[in-house]
Amino acid sequence: MTETTARGHNAPCSNRDFDFFYAGFEGEELLVQRCTQCGTLRSLPSPGCGNCSSLDWEPTALGGEGEIFSYVTHYHPPLPGFSAPHPMALVTMDEGVRLLGAMDGTDPDTLEIGRRVKIEFVRRDAVAAYRFRYL
Amino acid sequence: MTSISNKTAIAGYGATEFSKNSGRSELRLAVEATLGALTDAGIDPAEVDGMATFSMDNNSEQEIFRAIGGRDLKFFARIPQGGGGTLGPVQQAAMAITTGIANVVVVYRAMNERSEYRFGQPMHSLPPTSDNVIFAYHGFSGLMTPAAMLGLMMRRYMHETGATSLDFANYAVLARKYASTNPNAFYYGKPITVEEHQASRMVADPLHLLDCCQESDGGVALVIVSAERARDLRQRPVYIRAAAQGSPKGTVSLGGFYKDNIWPFDECAATARQLYSQSGLSPADLDAAIIYDHFGPSVFPGLEAYGFCAKGEAKDFVKDGHLEIGGKLPINMHGGQLGEAYIHGMNGVAEAVRQLRGTAVNQVPGVRNMLVTAGSGLPTSAALLGVD
Ligand SMILES: [Zn+2]
Repeated sequence: MTETTARGHNAPCSNRDFDFFYAGFEGEELLVQRCTQCGTLRSLPSPGCGNCSSLDWEPTALGGEGEIFSYVTHYHPPLPGFSAPHPMALVTMDEGVRLLGAMDGTDPDTLEIGRRVKIEFVRRDAVAAYRFRYL
Repeated sequence: MTSISNKTAIAGYGATEFSKNSGRSELRLAVEATLGALTDAGIDPAEVDGMATFSMDNNSEQEIFRAIGGRDLKFFARIPQGGGGTLGPVQQAAMAITTGIANVVVVYRAMNERSEYRFGQPMHSLPPTSDNVIFAYHGFSGLMTPAAMLGLMMRRYMHETGATSLDFANYAVLARKYASTNPNAFYYGKPITVEEHQASRMVADPLHLLDCCQESDGGVALVIVSAERARDLRQRPVYIRAAAQGSPKGTVSLGGFYKDNIWPFDECAATARQLYSQSGLSPADLDAAIIYDHFGPSVFPGLEAYGFCAKGEAKDFVKDGHLEIGGKLPINMHGGQLGEAYIHGMNGVAEAVRQLRGTAVNQVPGVRNMLVTAGSGLPTSAALLGVD
């Protein structure tokens, strides 16, 4: 295990709105934001709540299960850190928010919209990360 | 309320050749296109007082201005979002002229996008700007290219509409068919078949290589003036009947995966509403269109968002031949960005000007009004252009 930075993670490009997300994987937690004013969950991080404009939020852990809403398999050009073909899925988590995740380790030809998946915590070099596997 | 509708016109356009290696600087391409547009319009470079382009363009306004012998530049504006911005500079020009801020505005885009750098590569995302942290967030899972981002959107479109890669082949083949008779096109003399489309390698499944646009070197420029002035110039005025931008709730640049509909659709629909409202025209009034094809499959939801067919029906509209000359809505008669060249959609604006003047190589007879759109799946823009 590699030492993490002062931001709490080693993800390459983040800012103070996104640090919590990457830091969560160090403790094997999938975190999203919850607006403390109206309770709305948001997945793609943002400093403000799209529902009530509040800037107050707290990280909350998701259960890690959901179903595939869409998917794509990357073939070309070569990707840093992943081998091709590289499948990815956009997943509707059981809590209602969507989350994009890698599905490396799964045969791309088996991907299907509606299929149930579960998060798996992995490390990619020095970076704590995640991917989806079939449930 | 002040309206920009029909107050301004494209009085001239200029373009370099489109190639894979221009052999000269991007600035020189921009200057050549600008001078070409001014000559086409019959306007002296000393009259130019406004310039508008893409944020991504590498050629500064004042350097073009210095090279063409400009005198007094009063207005310059840039629009973000790459290919989503194509008609933004046109809207800027129309607003600047309508409000009296400028009189002669050059809109330009020039790039050595093949020989000096290439788009479509994995996005390197430092420093952590507001857009870069989102590209990095998606890149964390391996989603790093526009093709994969659009592929993710289009897979959901296929699921909901029943459209297949064979449907997308119909557009890919049509674009090369138009290009095959256009001497300026990369696919000049090189039509393709459905089988070749299907056999082309995957770039980001469901997108095949032959679903993807060209990578090109080249430059295109437009000269925009008041409608009144345009009527006294050399060319038939191509009026700007409407021009709009769209970025509705839930829009993320190539990452709008968190809203109800993730198709490359909502931004186009928001832009369409403004165009038809500004101009008083409806889709039925349009004789032809340039629909942005960074990736050919995006044309399908584009046709639906701009109101030419109902949601999910583009596959039948295309299959029935309505995009051909003689069909209900011929599109991209230059071959599109799949077949002619990829100049961030500006070559499509030039094609619209030729069609409306009646000088295109694949001319649609009697064209009076056209739609021109910009990149989808991100904040976008579009315009309605027409002739009397
Ligand atoms: Zn809220």
